[in-house]
Amino acid sequence: MRIAQQRWFTPWLFLLPGLAVVIGFSLFPFLNTVVLAFTDAKVLGGGHFTGADNFVRMVRDPAFWTAVGNSALYIVGVVPPLVVLPLLLALLVERKLPGITFFRTAFFTPVIASIVVVGLIWTWLLDTRGLVNDVLTALGVLKTPIPFLTDQWLLLVSAMLVTVWKGLGYYMVIYLAALGTVPKDLHEAAQVDGAGWWRRLFSVTLPALRPTMVLVAVLSSVSAFRVFSEVYLLAGQAGGPGGADTTLVMLIQQVGTGLTGDLGYSSALSVVLFVLTLGLLLATNRLNRQEDL
Amino acid sequence: MPTNPLSRRGFLLGVAATTALGVAGCGLGGSSDDNADSGPVTGDVTGEIKFQTWALKPKYTDYINGLITAFQKQHAGVKVNWIDQPADGYLQKVTADAAAGNLPDVVNVPPDLSFPLARKKLLLNIDTAMPDARKDYLDNAWAAYAIPGQTGSYGFPWYLNTGPTFYNKALFRQVGLDPEHPPTNYSELENDALVMAQRSDKKIAMLGLTPVIADFGLYGVTVMNADGSKFTFNEPKGVQFVEMYKRLYDAGALIPEALTANYTGAGTKFMNQQIAWAPGSAYDLQNFKTNAPSLYANVGITKTITNTGKAVLYVQGLSVPAASKNKPTALAFAKFVTNAENQMAFAKLTAIFPSTKGTMSDPYFSQDGGTDEGRVRVAAAKQLETAVNYTPVQWSEQMTTLLQQKMSDAMQGKTSPKQALDDTVAQCNKLLAG
Repeated sequence: MRIAQQRWFTPWLFLLPGLAVVIGFSLFPFLNTVVLAFTDAKVLGGGHFTGADNFVRMVRDPAFWTAVGNSALYIVGVVPPLVVLPLLLALLVERKLPGITFFRTAFFTPVIASIVVVGLIWTWLLDTRGLVNDVLTALGVLKTPIPFLTDQWLLLVSAMLVTVWKGLGYYMVIYLAALGTVPKDLHEAAQVDGAGWWRRLFSVTLPALRPTMVLVAVLSSVSAFRVFSEVYLLAGQAGGPGGADTTLVMLIQQVGTGLTGDLGYSSALSVVLFVLTLGLLLATNRLNRQEDL
Repeated sequence: MPTNPLSRRGFLLGVAATTALGVAGCGLGGSSDDNADSGPVTGDVTGEIKFQTWALKPKYTDYINGLITAFQKQHAGVKVNWIDQPADGYLQKVTADAAAGNLPDVVNVPPDLSFPLARKKLLLNIDTAMPDARKDYLDNAWAAYAIPGQTGSYGFPWYLNTGPTFYNKALFRQVGLDPEHPPTNYSELENDALVMAQRSDKKIAMLGLTPVIADFGLYGVTVMNADGSKFTFNEPKGVQFVEMYKRLYDAGALIPEALTANYTGAGTKFMNQQIAWAPGSAYDLQNFKTNAPSLYANVGITKTITNTGKAVLYVQGLSVPAASKNKPTALAFAKFVTNAENQMAFAKLTAIFPSTKGTMSDPYFSQDGGTDEGRVRVAAAKQLETAVNYTPVQWSEQMTTLLQQKMSDAMQGKTSPKQALDDTVAQCNKLLAG
């Protein structure tokens, strides 16, 4: 069939399977969530239009503000190390040395490890009677164990540590790929001009990697804002002592699950999470563009 | 920006269609139009049904398959399709199926899960659907599926369990407490726990979990009002109970992890010999033997401490959804699985107890054979006669989380025990009102 003879709907026919999947599994659930956010729907049926009631409730709900605060803190605690540390790792394992593949694999292993397994391992390590406390107590460094998993702030920091540890390898691979694209002639020119390793790092490598660093910052901040598993596994279903470490996604889960789940309110929370994440992305994009000017 | 009007129209149509679907999807599933309470169910026992269990594969595959084969032999033309769901996420699975109106014909539902389903008329009232069934089951087991504010019962009680309490003799010995005389009431428990914490310089704790709702019941607190419409566990006895826990926490007799641990987490702490006292069931003893032999060598077994004189009752049951397309067969099969003979066979396979009348008089439950398992079995069987399900059917997962959060605040001194309970009760009543 010649292209000129195609009907207007021919391209749509090709798009149809993909569109069906996108509409069924992305667009419909998304729009459904938005609609539910304005109702008092429960998991088991019902649901009436309640206007902005869920959003008003949210503003007055201390648990919401705790969750937003924790999610925001998570970004502050996780993003800088996830931008810098994988870069350092990538610079270390970039060199072609005997056995370097082993280190690359070792650093990447946490990425593919199941988050549940990771959570359990870190729980055993950080428990009041866990390995870290036991060793430090046995060595006489500590008299009383450090409450990594029972203190509100230490628990949050511990969860951040797990997120950083698990994410290092992933972002390292992104940096490794980007390092391969840094023009070699620039390095050579700088070397001829007498620039040492540090000088070349700051004057050649880092400027070339800046878009990648922005990408890593965007990716890690969005996933940090949506953190669930690490905090859930270390802090328990209740979200730490008194629910003090609950993050936004944990709150959505707490409110919306179970046979008595409050679907309307959890949908409203999800919409707010979406808006905040989108805002975060747009702000980062804007900053990035401003720097380009 | 698309300039082709068709593209724009297509896009708008797509959005409109999905929005319409979204609006239609609001409040998906929910109450059944089928009458859950419309009188005895009659009809031929034939055709296909789906039967869902909770984490019985692979350990009890042969037993369940045997039941199915026997039932199919009794009723020509019947086909039972068995689905077993893993333990984790079972609640979510049942929730999703219920919301989608897709529950299997016979489904394993614990009492607290039956309440929201029955309230939405999603389960058959067995008292009406099969009026003769009730007389075959123990009254307290049948009552576990009764829904306050509604008549009838919404599940066949399947198997039961109850205490005892386990304690670690080695840890008792280590701090100079008599391992042969464990505490028998709350006052002794508190004293021993404080001694243990003090003599071990807070290194050995007695308890690993802040009180859950069943503990309030065991302590004799009135958890709900008479008609089950409001929670009342913020009464003075409840406050007294939480104050005791606060003293234990301050002394180091309740481990810090109790603030975030759940029942399973506390069980693991006991297995790891990090706490000395844990409620459990006869099933746990087998678990200790296999997975914690050094604990098993030192495990002490004692009665559940209670101010009511009645031990705690755990119940599992089978319900039939009101929307089942084959109710006669579903009811017949659920009754068959839970009949005395089949429950007795199950009890001999694992550490559970039958919910049927008369079965408990079997010598299996009165003669211990000189083994630890036998002693636990006999003691538990005796307890079951009067045991009570202290967790109200109205109690939900959200309420469990809420109670733990508030107990944690009280333990840390962020709020007083009274305030913590007042807040919990107020919020739980709000959730209950739905």
